[in-house]
Amino acid sequence: MSDVVSEIFEVLNERGLHARPMTRLVQTASRFQSEMSVERDGQVANAKSVMGLLMLCCHKGARVTVRAEGPDAGAAVTAIGELFKSRFGESA
Amino acid sequence: MSEPSPGRLLGIAASPGVAVGTAFVVDRRKVAIPRRHIEAREVDAEVARLRGAMSAARAQLSAVRDKLAPDAGEHSLILEAHLLMLDDTLLTEQTERAIRVEKMNAEWALRQTVENIKEVFDRADQDYFRERRSDVDFVGERVLRQLLGASSEIVKPLDLSGPVVLIAHELSPADTAALARADVSAFVTDVGTSTSHTAIMARALSLPAVVGAPDATRRIATGDRLIVDGLRGVVMLQPDDDAVYQAQLRGERYIAFVRALQCNRARPAETLCGHPIRLRANIELPAEAAVAIDHGADGIGLYRTEFLYVDRSEPPSEDEQFETFRRIVETMAPRTVTLRTFDLGGDKFSTAFRFPREMNPALGLRAVRLALREREVFRAQLRAMLRAAAYGPVRVMVPMISAVDELRAVKAELDLARSELEASGKVYADVPLGIMVETPSAVMMADLLAREAAFFSIGTNDLIQYSLAIDRGNEHVAHLARSLDPAILRSIARVVDAARSAGIPCALCGAMAGQLMCLPALVGLGVDELSVEPAAVPEVKAALGRLSRAACQALAAEVLAMPGADEVECHVASLFGPVLRDLLAGGEAGQFSETGSFVLPEYG
Repeated sequence: MSDVVSEIFEVLNERGLHARPMTRLVQTASRFQSEMSVERDGQVANAKSVMGLLMLCCHKGARVTVRAEGPDAGAAVTAIGELFKSRFGESA
Repeated sequence: MSEPSPGRLLGIAASPGVAVGTAFVVDRRKVAIPRRHIEAREVDAEVARLRGAMSAARAQLSAVRDKLAPDAGEHSLILEAHLLMLDDTLLTEQTERAIRVEKMNAEWALRQTVENIKEVFDRADQDYFRERRSDVDFVGERVLRQLLGASSEIVKPLDLSGPVVLIAHELSPADTAALARADVSAFVTDVGTSTSHTAIMARALSLPAVVGAPDATRRIATGDRLIVDGLRGVVMLQPDDDAVYQAQLRGERYIAFVRALQCNRARPAETLCGHPIRLRANIELPAEAAVAIDHGADGIGLYRTEFLYVDRSEPPSEDEQFETFRRIVETMAPRTVTLRTFDLGGDKFSTAFRFPREMNPALGLRAVRLALREREVFRAQLRAMLRAAAYGPVRVMVPMISAVDELRAVKAELDLARSELEASGKVYADVPLGIMVETPSAVMMADLLAREAAFFSIGTNDLIQYSLAIDRGNEHVAHLARSLDPAILRSIARVVDAARSAGIPCALCGAMAGQLMCLPALVGLGVDELSVEPAAVPEVKAALGRLSRAACQALAAEVLAMPGADEVECHVASLFGPVLRDLLAGGEAGQFSETGSFVLPEYG
């Protein structure tokens, strides 16, 4: 059984999504079996590739679509969503 | 212009002559990395080498991470990020692909992949990308170092047989000067124009150069055989033996032509009808003074003192500058030496000063503006100049004057420098103080500036840039910056007239003075003195000797009324092309096209 879940999140981090937040994103995405991607303005990156994510250049205020396909798709998108909402653990 | 064929690169002919040599590609942007095309049978070994280097880099990073205290938080996250990047399929797959498909060696393939990734960040509109770029760079460099650790001895110029053609993205003046000591026979750069420093230095060293040849560092690999034709601005890749033979013949013909021109070096520079034009040399290294005399220059029209300031953390001392100036003055005496105060900022930086970050450095804190902010440093230079003047005729010239007040402020500093020397009892002599006219405001104020300056020297490189609003370093618009633009000719006319009314001499020291097709207009407009690179002195002198002043004056009157550079160039070509043709072609049989542009014969 395979679900497809996608949700749009806004980047709240003051300095955008640079290497450290993206590392957290990759580490989180890697815990799930689902195939995951992140899309911004028509550009899509594998959620398990740091370089690919960095190349999306997600600045503060950017709206990105997180998409998961697989048995744990819902949980995966929820977990990634938590990261966005908590500013990836950064203070600002 | 025809499409460049796969076997050749078209660039800007920056320094004449023809050389055949083996390419050495230097990547000045980071560590020098070897670039070569590998054989199909080497592919698997090269991929294995890359993977080995990546796992070594990974092991290194993991070891560092493990040593970090558990509470290192942020730091260990950065290391985590770098470790993830090392595993990233974007990096590994693209690099392996470049090795397998494009047959690049591992270092080259890796660098290209890193550059491709960074290009995406370059296009990002915010400065967040900086951190990302440096992350990617960091990871790339780490793997590169692993790769080079095993093989850094593979390619160095010394391992290449015969003369080396240096291929670089761009070269700083210091690079060019240092490399000239090695067995370098020519230069090729990705960027640059005929007035960039690589070009100026190559001409000073009499080495052929082609600059602004896009992608030269990407398309040429170390070890490739090349022909560099600095007359045509063409680089031929992997030529056959016949092409090499033809190129050698052309190179020899050019050397013979230059020798023939050298014969007139003892003669004064004058027009066909005997009207004298002072012909001086622009130099930036003290050693070039002797070269200038050798080529028959009547003094130094521009000594670029800023090169004393580059590549050092403190400005040079008064004594050090004095010694350098004195050597030049003694070499040139009784000929006049024009010392230009440091022209730093803009595109020339010195680590000796703290420069602000500027959006628009050409319009920023540069030249006399910097001098008037760093007054102590400026006065130390003025004192050195005054002291050197005791050893022979010296003139002092200030760059980038854009207002009468600026000239007055410089005069006040010169007065102060004089009284400081007086107080310390040092020997000095007084100097005439002149200005570079290179801003549109100086052109507009030329009549009033002429009352307070001892001489003018028109700096056409900057004057063209500022008057036509064209960044000469910008490849997209550089072709629009034309010396024979009527706007430039009218500016020169205005400045010459102002100088004449005030009874002061008017020189011209930009690249335009060495462009033979500009000479008739400059003579006609009444410029008294030309200053060109030492190597160009013989041909400018030969060209002047073929021009009649009356014909030049008639030309000047006509071109001042023309609407655009196209018309002026066509008109000059039709009137003066026939008498200057062989000089333009470096001894070869060139032709003028219908549009007035000069064309050398094609070759296979």
